[in-house]
Amino acid sequence: MLHPVFRSWKSVVIYFGAWIIVTMVQFSILFFFYGVPGTFAFIDSLIFNMMFSLMGIILWFVVRYCPLGKGVSWNMLFNHLSSAALILVGWMATSYFLLSSIFPSEARLLHFIRDSLPSQAILGVMLYVLTGLGYYLILMYNDLQERLKAEARLNELLRESELNVLKSQINPHFLFNSLNSVSSLTITDPEKAQEMVIRLSDFLRYSVSASSKQFVSLNKEMENIERYLEIEKVRFGKKLDYIHHIDPACQSMMIPATVLQPLFENAIKHGVYESTGTVCIETTCTRDPGMTIITMVNDFDSEAPRKAGTGVGLSNIRERLRLLYHRTDLLEFRAEDAKFKVILKIPDNHE
Amino acid sequence: MNKYKTLIIDDEAPARVIIQKFLSAYPEFEVTGEFEDGFSGLKGIRETNPDLVFLDIQMPKLTGLELLELLENPPVIIFSTAYDQYAVKAFEMSATDYLLKPYSRQRFDQAMQKAIQSIKTGADNKQPVNALVQTMDNDPGIIYRIAVKIRHNVHVIPTSEILYIEAEGDYVMIFTPAGKFLKEKTMKYFETHLDPSVFTRIHRSFIVNLNAIARLELYDKEQYVVKLKDDTVLKASSAGYKTLKEKLNL
Repeated sequence: MLHPVFRSWKSVVIYFGAWIIVTMVQFSILFFFYGVPGTFAFIDSLIFNMMFSLMGIILWFVVRYCPLGKGVSWNMLFNHLSSAALILVGWMATSYFLLSSIFPSEARLLHFIRDSLPSQAILGVMLYVLTGLGYYLILMYNDLQERLKAEARLNELLRESELNVLKSQINPHFLFNSLNSVSSLTITDPEKAQEMVIRLSDFLRYSVSASSKQFVSLNKEMENIERYLEIEKVRFGKKLDYIHHIDPACQSMMIPATVLQPLFENAIKHGVYESTGTVCIETTCTRDPGMTIITMVNDFDSEAPRKAGTGVGLSNIRERLRLLYHRTDLLEFRAEDAKFKVILKIPDNHE
Repeated sequence: MNKYKTLIIDDEAPARVIIQKFLSAYPEFEVTGEFEDGFSGLKGIRETNPDLVFLDIQMPKLTGLELLELLENPPVIIFSTAYDQYAVKAFEMSATDYLLKPYSRQRFDQAMQKAIQSIKTGADNKQPVNALVQTMDNDPGIIYRIAVKIRHNVHVIPTSEILYIEAEGDYVMIFTPAGKFLKEKTMKYFETHLDPSVFTRIHRSFIVNLNAIARLELYDKEQYVVKLKDDTVLKASSAGYKTLKEKLNL
């Protein structure tokens, strides 16, 4: 993160402007209440405060090094005490050295400065605390902003995936081709046509209702996938084959709604649509400590040129997982020997 | 009486079945072959010389439209598609008949009447087909493969394998590691239909695959050449060189 003082010209002006005000306040106190001669009072407050303004810039790094995180800790307190001691000693020593080299012969002034060192030190502690608090406030504000941004992004992605589900349920190719199959079946096998219509309706209904919820059980999601595959199976017959191996322990685990649908659509689009042989989709769900692992393997024609859109659906899923679980290693995929493999890990806990 | 030979080319079995059922009302037509992909469909058309073909658009290996481009003497064709905005637009503009899935028996009969008329009058089908191909070229979509013909063999080249394309009059020559292929299309067509993040036109006569480039060299003042990984050297115009530099982030 950029140093807040140097983010823009404006912030530099504000920072040093604030120190000029502090300088003027101190000058007035010295001049009007303590009767310190004008030049001395001015030079003294100017040097001390300008030196502190420089020290204050360094303080930012101490604050960054000791972030608030989960509240105040002893470690943090110790770090701040030592940095305060160092900064104060450095500050007073340099200021005193500067003043004494500006007025080498003014014994009266140097005496005054030496006398006022203890009160200067107390003032320094106050300034340290104030500057530090200021920085922490900025950090907290930034943190809040980032959180809000992440949340907005999550909502946006969710809406996007809902939209995609909505699109896939009315994916024109899928829908009209399925209806064409129904039309054909009404002549050759009316009973099967009816089954197909019911399945299609159930699939559409699930997609509409699931999109408003964020999490569903793996069981429910797989049921819908099964419907989808059954419909495609009517269209493609022996060209499409699928096997599910689902560990019973996975069935009630909650997973993000419709996270699996794009994976199967991908497998159909790049596998079945582009191939002339049989494409088998093999899905395995197993449990690992703290997470459910879903593995999908499908055949694809490695000679068919890659179409646009490969990977877009997958990276959308990855982004959604990152926002939900704060991890980027939950989705892996690779193509090897005419097999496309996707490994999806769903942790049990999400934010 | 000789029956009209009919082929059905569609990758979905139910879609083929309904055509058969509807067609059974026309005893003068006989289904002599069914094919599940564009490649075998093309072979079927060439070998059996049918009178009528039912052709689906979306198919593996070779789409119905890619198949169409490769036919020298196309038979009467009735297209079918579930959903393809551009194809539908192209059909309308070229006055070719098509069926939108799912379709009714009445709609099927209508298409058959037209087809029967075309068969009986022995109309030249090449013209509407050419018009169709030409309108399809206006489809702004990116292409990912190119079907080319060498005598009677058809090669499908994934565009990622193209090294560069050179203008050859009304044709272009497509260079790949596997050899060169002539294609009856314009440079303009490839300029607009190849993925612009991979291909760029560097000269009036050259479109190059960015991944095939080894280096750029200054040849003469203001004259640059592009050297490919296989040591081919291509000229670049100054405008072409500029866009090339932008795409390579130089």
